[in-house]
Amino acid sequence: MVLTDRVDRRQLLGAAAGTAVAASTLAGCGLFDDDPDPAPQPDALQPLLDEALRLAAAYDRVAVAQPGLRKRLSPLAEDHRAHAAALAALIGVTLPSAAASAAPGGDAAQTVAALRKAEQAAQKTAVAACRTAPAQRVALVGSIAAARAAHAEALR
Amino acid sequence: MNAQLAAALAAEEAAIYAYGTLGVKLTGTGDRTEARAAEAVHRDRRDVLVARLAELRTTPAPAPAGYRLPFEITGRESALKLAIQVEDGVAQAWRAVLPVTEGADRATALSALIDSAVRATRWRRLGSVTPATIPWPGRP
Repeated sequence: MVLTDRVDRRQLLGAAAGTAVAASTLAGCGLFDDDPDPAPQPDALQPLLDEALRLAAAYDRVAVAQPGLRKRLSPLAEDHRAHAAALAALIGVTLPSAAASAAPGGDAAQTVAALRKAEQAAQKTAVAACRTAPAQRVALVGSIAAARAAHAEALR
Repeated sequence: MNAQLAAALAAEEAAIYAYGTLGVKLTGTGDRTEARAAEAVHRDRRDVLVARLAELRTTPAPAPAGYRLPFEITGRESALKLAIQVEDGVAQAWRAVLPVTEGADRATALSALIDSAVRATRWRRLGSVTPATIPWPGRP
């Protein structure tokens, strides 16, 4: 009898959820015109994806400006692109096509130091995301945090 | 969670053994300092795991009396190769802890995963292995 009770409760919950979905769908249809559609909540991992793309682009710019660093930097840029692709697939968004922007000059040590700083900041974002990520996402986020930390080490 | 923590313990025990073996093949000051520091970190983490598993009232399998290394350590090159492999293995064990934990346990697992990834990169640099990083530390 306990089993039957449980099923009943689940069905009830399901029915309640169904009602909620129906209500929000109706709202979305514009039945309530004075209630504008709220912007869809961005995915919790979107900042991580944006950061991966920004970092990949930053490496590309430095590699263009200083070809001597290309061999050292391009694997790191590739890592970020791999992260971005996996995150986009997970979130369910399409990646923007890559566009290499204008290259700033500057001295190599200074640029590498700036990249290193950016990696450390990005590592913090990933660590924070890891704290709250659901079980099915956390391993991927953890690897990204570890990769960013390793990048900072590689740039020492 | 207990199974994953026990697997992390086994990885840490194996790392301690491996560093003991490979450390004697390293002669440079930089290499030796790094190996000693790494071994100390793995010992600390082993102790933390033993304490946590006791708290959870889990008795993990005792560490084997001996290990078979994946290849013979003949000199610096194979010693560094083993150090890289050890850190990659430890990273894998800790990554598997993430999905089954929350809060402090997850934070411990993440710190260990990050530390191992950083150490593996450091060993790759010392051994002039390129690239010095891998895209997915801890992914088997």
